Amino acid sequence: MADTAKDRREKLLLSGNEAIAHGAWEAGVRFGSGYPGTPSSEILPALNELGEVYCEWSVNEKVALEAAAGASIAGARCLVTMKHVGVNVAADPLFTMSYTGVEGGLVIISADDPSMHSSQNEQDNRHYARASKVPMLEPSDSQEARDFTMRAFELSEQFDTPVFLRPVTRICHSDGLVEVGERAEVPLRGELQKQPEKYVMIPAYARKRRVFMAERTRALVELAEHDEINREEMGDTSLGIITSGAAYTYAKEAFPEASFLKLGLVWPLSPERIRRFAEQVDRLFVIEELDPFLTEEILAMGVAVERVDESFRIGELTPARVREMIAGEPAPDTTADEDLPPRPPTLCAGCPHRSVFTLLRKLKAYVTGDIGCYTLGTLPPLQALHTCLCMGAGINEAHGMQKVRGHEAPVVAVIGDSTFTHSGITGLVNIAYNAGVSTVVIVDNRTTAMTGGQVHPGVGETLSGMPGRALDFEALARAVGVEDVRVVDPYDMAATEAALRETMASPEPSVVIARRECVLMVRERRPAPDFDADRCTRCGACIRIGCPALWAEDDGGKRPIPRINTALCTGCLMCAQVCPVDALKAPEGAQEGNQ
Amino acid sequence: MVRNVLLTGVGGQGIITASTVLAQACRLAGWQVKKSEVHGMSQRGGSVNSYVRFSADEQIASPLIPEGEAEMMLAFEPLEGLRQIRQATPDAVVLVEERRIVPVTVNMPGVTYPDDVIERLVASGRRVTVVPASATAVELGESRAANMVMLGALATQIELADEIWSEAAALVLKPRALEVNLRAFEAGRQLVPAGV
Ligand SMILES: Cc1ncc(C[n+]2csc(CCOP(=O)(O)OP(=O)(O)O)c2C)c(N)n1
Ligand code: SF4
Ligand code: SF4
Repeated sequence: MADTAKDRREKLLLSGNEAIAHGAWEAGVRFGSGYPGTPSSEILPALNELGEVYCEWSVNEKVALEAAAGASIAGARCLVTMKHVGVNVAADPLFTMSYTGVEGGLVIISADDPSMHSSQNEQDNRHYARASKVPMLEPSDSQEARDFTMRAFELSEQFDTPVFLRPVTRICHSDGLVEVGERAEVPLRGELQKQPEKYVMIPAYARKRRVFMAERTRALVELAEHDEINREEMGDTSLGIITSGAAYTYAKEAFPEASFLKLGLVWPLSPERIRRFAEQVDRLFVIEELDPFLTEEILAMGVAVERVDESFRIGELTPARVREMIAGEPAPDTTADEDLPPRPPTLCAGCPHRSVFTLLRKLKAYVTGDIGCYTLGTLPPLQALHTCLCMGAGINEAHGMQKVRGHEAPVVAVIGDSTFTHSGITGLVNIAYNAGVSTVVIVDNRTTAMTGGQVHPGVGETLSGMPGRALDFEALARAVGVEDVRVVDPYDMAATEAALRETMASPEPSVVIARRECVLMVRERRPAPDFDADRCTRCGACIRIGCPALWAEDDGGKRPIPRINTALCTGCLMCAQVCPVDALKAPEGAQEGNQ
Repeated sequence: MVRNVLLTGVGGQGIITASTVLAQACRLAGWQVKKSEVHGMSQRGGSVNSYVRFSADEQIASPLIPEGEAEMMLAFEPLEGLRQIRQATPDAVVLVEERRIVPVTVNMPGVTYPDDVIERLVASGRRVTVVPASATAVELGESRAANMVMLGALATQIELADEIWSEAAALVLKPRALEVNLRAFEAGRQLVPAGV
């Protein structure tokens, strides 16, 4: 590709996620589905923005993949996006779609998150490629993110298989220059044909497809041997590095003179090509993030690679870590002075989740939590969320706990509205069906806040901005058999507390919907509370709700005095409601009741 | 030569917008450029870092700045600047906003915001200039333009024509806010004396 200053000016500056969307769009994709999850969340909105493609936020990743399976059987090219743990949710259809294959090309984005910048684990999804026998491509920058996405659609149709593209956080959220093209008009492939032997996976048919898969893998190995998606960059042959994706960029930075075998296709591999490369170099290293996936495959080919310390299997790599791995040079010390106060993420000033956790702390509840902004309720000073496993788990954990500890155990499940629609509903059905007793609090802030504020079924608007049918949580809870269903405004702490107390005491299952919009979605601010320093007893009750707009200042008094940062304060008045002496109050002239 | 800029601060300060303007300016100049940051949890008022790497002549491999090799640092908050200071080269240019944003963790017993953050930055030997970015933006009547004041300060260290900066800003910023942001940028440029 030509690369002069003039060419660069004509390229686009795109994040990896935008580049994936562009590649899919150019490849004539007609159907895009997914569920938000960092670092993948920006792909579908970018694709939707490019136009001409039906895009949806599906209810969860399994739904997204299965809907795409249908669209593919119907002949359309399909893009499905999710974060790494989303593939766990979609794993059931995935493994058998490897058997059925596709009509229209189908590409699954598995956006992995080494170092867990925004995830509950750092699983390495390359294992899914090998386990499901689905080929996987790994881009190392935005240009490759676009190019490999386009190539993935071709491979999918050519080899009759779904294809994985696995970018990591540093690819998704890095910008680089990308040469793009026009959209290709790719018509629906074939007629809508009934092909039960291909799409009905009863044992008799699946066994035949299993043999086809083995042939397909052999053919892909052959492709891996010659195709330019893998490339040799021969330099100084005293050091050879086999690598891929983001790890390639760090290795290239650390050892620009070395010889590289850069793999674009990370499963399956070509033993021939790897041996050929190995024979040309004196020392051979495999540089990869997380598990020794390539290392084990290559060792199994009988190719000797040098050992690296197990500590490098944890977390992202960096140029200095690669230097340390290969040359033993210790990475420069970049740690901060120890006395610096940390700055962890916190619930926003005025976040409606704050009162729920303030009250659950007061009620000494054991809170089985879930994933979303509200997971931040676990951090000091709230410390009022006690489990977080995976999306949807909290409701079931509460059920299990109370089956063995009884309804008297002060257990409460807290789940976000988006998480509830993703995978909480089945848990609620289970509680009702199995005579459970748990209290489930749905913290309904009318959005998927954690991942950037995407719409979801409860909101009744779709990704493309069309009105959708809004899921009615109250009616749903009643329909599954929960009779005690309440809706409260979390800004009204007295009413919220009463609902929590009563439902926790009750031997019946219950649902409390704490409904109030995420403050990032609300434009107008209310005035900050008035503070009467003479009344204040410096008890610190307001400080202990952990609002970032409140801090305790040492003014020489017996204890620090609260101060309000009026630029941050949204006027939610939670601090006023926890103040035992009315030193903090709704401002003079503000509407009573704070509605 | 590849040049490395680290932008650091607190979620919500417009750091990513500033780094995107910088990256677009590099593209418009016909340079190579890569930019990287982490979204997600960090946006709820947590620490945010953005890396921009550019070069007129060389390919850039890593989107991350190699450890300790940031030769320019734009710190949107003093404490965050100090937290990242060892990512900067020993003689790096460090432009640091003077306004503090106190993290909620200081409300916990035994945790304090150190009084001597700027002094420690200076004592590190880097070429530190304090930039009153927020105060300047407030004077211009748009407190949210502090990020562009900071970028204007950085512009004194990068050889790019005026038109390129304004074209880049126009690509990234909302048309409504462009004019005041460009004024903020210009004001930032005046805040850093020549030869820093
Ligand atoms: C299987 C899976 N998919 C996606 C994610 C990413 N993710 C974490 S929480 C969340 C939803 C948060 O929305 P909600 O439950 O409404 O809570 P909020 O953040 O709005 O408080 C998402 C999409 C994940 N962790 N696991
Ligand atoms: S983004 Fe919304 S839900 Fe998340 S912490 Fe802020 S107010 Fe709460
Ligand atoms: S009213 Fe109180 S709790 Fe609410 S945002 Fe303002 S300071 Fe924070």
